[in-house]
Amino acid sequence: MYTIIFKQEDGPESKVFADTGANLLELAQQAGVAIDAPCSGNGTCGKCRVRIMSGSVESKQTMHITDDEWEDNWRLACQSTVSGDASIWVPATAADFKKGIRTAGLLSPAEMERYLRDTGRIFSSGLTRGVDQTGLGVAIDIGTTTVTAALIDLASGEVKGKASAGNGQIRYGGDVINRIIQQSRPHGVEKLRHAVREETIIPILEELSVQAGAATTDITRCTIAGNTTMQHLFVGADAQSIRLEPFVPEFLELHGKTAADLGLPIAPDAPVVFAPNVGSYVGGDISAGVLDTMMWDSDELTLFIDLGTNGELVLGNRDYLLCCACSAGPAFEGGEISCGMRATDGAIEEISIDDATHEPRYEVIGGGKPLGICGSGLIDTVAELFHCGIISPKGRFIHDEPRVIRDEYGTAEYVLAYPDQTEHGKAVTINETDINNFIRAKGAIFSAVRTMLKGIDLPTSSIERVMIAGGIGSGINMANAISIGMLPKIGLERYGYIGNSSLTGACAMLVSKDAENKVFEIGRNMTYLELSTYPGYMDEFVAACFLPHTDASLFA
Amino acid sequence: MAYKKSPQAFKASINAVTIGTGDSAVTLGGENVMPLYTFDAPIEHRPAVGIAVSDTGIRTDLPKLDEFYEGATTLLDRAQKAAQLKEADFLSIVLDAADPNGDNRSVEDCVAEVKAIADAVDKPLVIEGCKNVEKDTELFSKVAEALQGKNVLLLSAREENYKTVGASTVMAYQQKMGAESADDINLAKQLNVLITQLGVDPGSVVMNVGTAAAGYGFEYVVSTMDRVKSAALEQNDGMLQMPIVTPVASEAWTVKESLVSGDDIPEWGDVEERGIQMEVTTAAACLASGSNAVILMHPESVKTISAFVADLM
Repeated sequence: MYTIIFKQEDGPESKVFADTGANLLELAQQAGVAIDAPCSGNGTCGKCRVRIMSGSVESKQTMHITDDEWEDNWRLACQSTVSGDASIWVPATAADFKKGIRTAGLLSPAEMERYLRDTGRIFSSGLTRGVDQTGLGVAIDIGTTTVTAALIDLASGEVKGKASAGNGQIRYGGDVINRIIQQSRPHGVEKLRHAVREETIIPILEELSVQAGAATTDITRCTIAGNTTMQHLFVGADAQSIRLEPFVPEFLELHGKTAADLGLPIAPDAPVVFAPNVGSYVGGDISAGVLDTMMWDSDELTLFIDLGTNGELVLGNRDYLLCCACSAGPAFEGGEISCGMRATDGAIEEISIDDATHEPRYEVIGGGKPLGICGSGLIDTVAELFHCGIISPKGRFIHDEPRVIRDEYGTAEYVLAYPDQTEHGKAVTINETDINNFIRAKGAIFSAVRTMLKGIDLPTSSIERVMIAGGIGSGINMANAISIGMLPKIGLERYGYIGNSSLTGACAMLVSKDAENKVFEIGRNMTYLELSTYPGYMDEFVAACFLPHTDASLFA
Repeated sequence: MAYKKSPQAFKASINAVTIGTGDSAVTLGGENVMPLYTFDAPIEHRPAVGIAVSDTGIRTDLPKLDEFYEGATTLLDRAQKAAQLKEADFLSIVLDAADPNGDNRSVEDCVAEVKAIADAVDKPLVIEGCKNVEKDTELFSKVAEALQGKNVLLLSAREENYKTVGASTVMAYQQKMGAESADDINLAKQLNVLITQLGVDPGSVVMNVGTAAAGYGFEYVVSTMDRVKSAALEQNDGMLQMPIVTPVASEAWTVKESLVSGDDIPEWGDVEERGIQMEVTTAAACLASGSNAVILMHPESVKTISAFVADLM
């Protein structure tokens, strides 16, 4: 038995005992030491870098550790096993997700305000306010990456508090698939439940009650929107069936749950209402979001796109609603992008590149020096690199030039900001792998749109309204998104950004039994298209993985 | 009511790409009808049949093949014998030995040998690489330079090396190039777009859209070629109008049906017959699906397919 000490850069020291061969990342998780592992310990993401201060571990060098860093005792925790006593230094960057929880404010108040749009509009459609409970209610959007909540006075509908935090489950994997796999491991159900409930939602509830000057037990009603996987993990249901064919979840709707059943520290008999899921990959976040879009009450053919950690799309109007999920991945939230980040302070959200000099100009959220690129900045970057002829339609750099640098493996990157121009002293760049990931993400979105349109035999031009929701940020430049073939080429005036539609929908459900019933009706009436088994989808996807598209006439 | 024939000739056509020079030159493509549909409109350039010779030698377990190449000890000897086969429209030199993971023959040696063959035979030449991207890039560039004026086809560029291959073969030395993709109409088109954006004349490009031995997922090949031709002719898609050249030999002779000896599985019969059947079946299927040329290894296969094409024209 050996002693392993974790020294956290911004946290306490933890000591654990372990046998030879124990995995360092798992030990850290056991010891409560926060280390991100979006790839769930496959050695592919490179986020779990730690430094061996003394002692030794067995480890394997991966592409994420340079020779210099290896010499300097940097290791990937997930690729390291115990071989003796050791002292491990855990840098603050290893636990990015914690930042959100500590401050309970991943989103700025202004952003929250924008995201949490006035629910009044929903009630101008004939739905009436009013629920059986009185006092305070809380609406929670459990996102794969971010959990957002609003505290509302049930009688007046007044917003009493807002908070958001990174989903604590992120250290068990950045996407739903890795989390479902983690859930199936020993104690997985409890670990994942604890990460989202004890580490994320309960702190948020406490923060909200402080904001409102009330006790959490004053909360008498709760609504939860979240994708199918998040709902399963939160209630502790087995999520395996979401991942495995035929992709049928354990439940679509949950009824009759109370706070006591679910271990939430609000009034024990407070009903907890879950927005209904439609399929394995179209969940309650979408059924609640559709309520917010008002497309169910409109004659106009509306396309609703939620660009979250996954992309979900709904197409239809008051007569029908067709929905699907596409595996766009987390690129639009900055995931799987070397310098990617969410749309928060320090993120480059707008970029233009000079056609002649190829020098970039950018806008940073918060106005300071850049830290990374968010989804909207990424769209701009790829669009500008493409328009300036710096990258090919396949996303490869065409020429070597001053801002295009190649590493020893021949992978090229474009430097957006040199180390002396950034907040953290490291260059902000975009490399070919990032661009490739992004092109796949945008291809997934566009091919899903095409497949849905084909399914109902309508031309692109028949779409009268497009509503974009999700963490991509309001800075999204629709013209750029169209020019790279991510969104269909229709008039810009038909496009709009609606922020966090899922939370807005959950808020409406919170203050109105009528709205709650409407969301259940929407959920049951949506037709779910499973793209992974849909004939012709792969063809559409490959055709869309090109700038702007293999069929250039679609964007001419 | 009397039967009324309505020919389905298209306004669009496949590009006509000529390889070789003088009387022996062969033109691929040019048709404006679906594959082999001579009843819709005449097909001026009949599908071509090429014979492949590899620099790694020939198989010694195939008596008829041995007999054909009897006395030929070098690649040049074999190339000359193959070129004499009147049913072969062109000769394909396969530079397998250049593979860095194999014999790793030097580019200089390969180029010198190809040059000697080009001087000795008058059939149009196709040069196939060793499938190693870096080595092929260098090989194609040097071969294109050495065979200037011979109008040869370099087979083929891929997404990883199309820039260098396109610039150093077609643009610098006016040779013809192949664009290779793996059984996917979109990937095929994307590569053609990239190559033409480079400034390469689409009329100098042929496609190898991938193949498989018959029975080894050949539905994908049929579907890909079929849709390529439909897009090219029906939708007049200029980025898919390149003629298709399919190297059948490398697929047909590497499956177990063409490898396992008749001694091991007597009920399967003679391995050479089996291999020829595999090659002929695959080639016929490729031609029916849309290939404008096939490259075969066995002289018997070449004769059979050549007769098959002649009968259909």
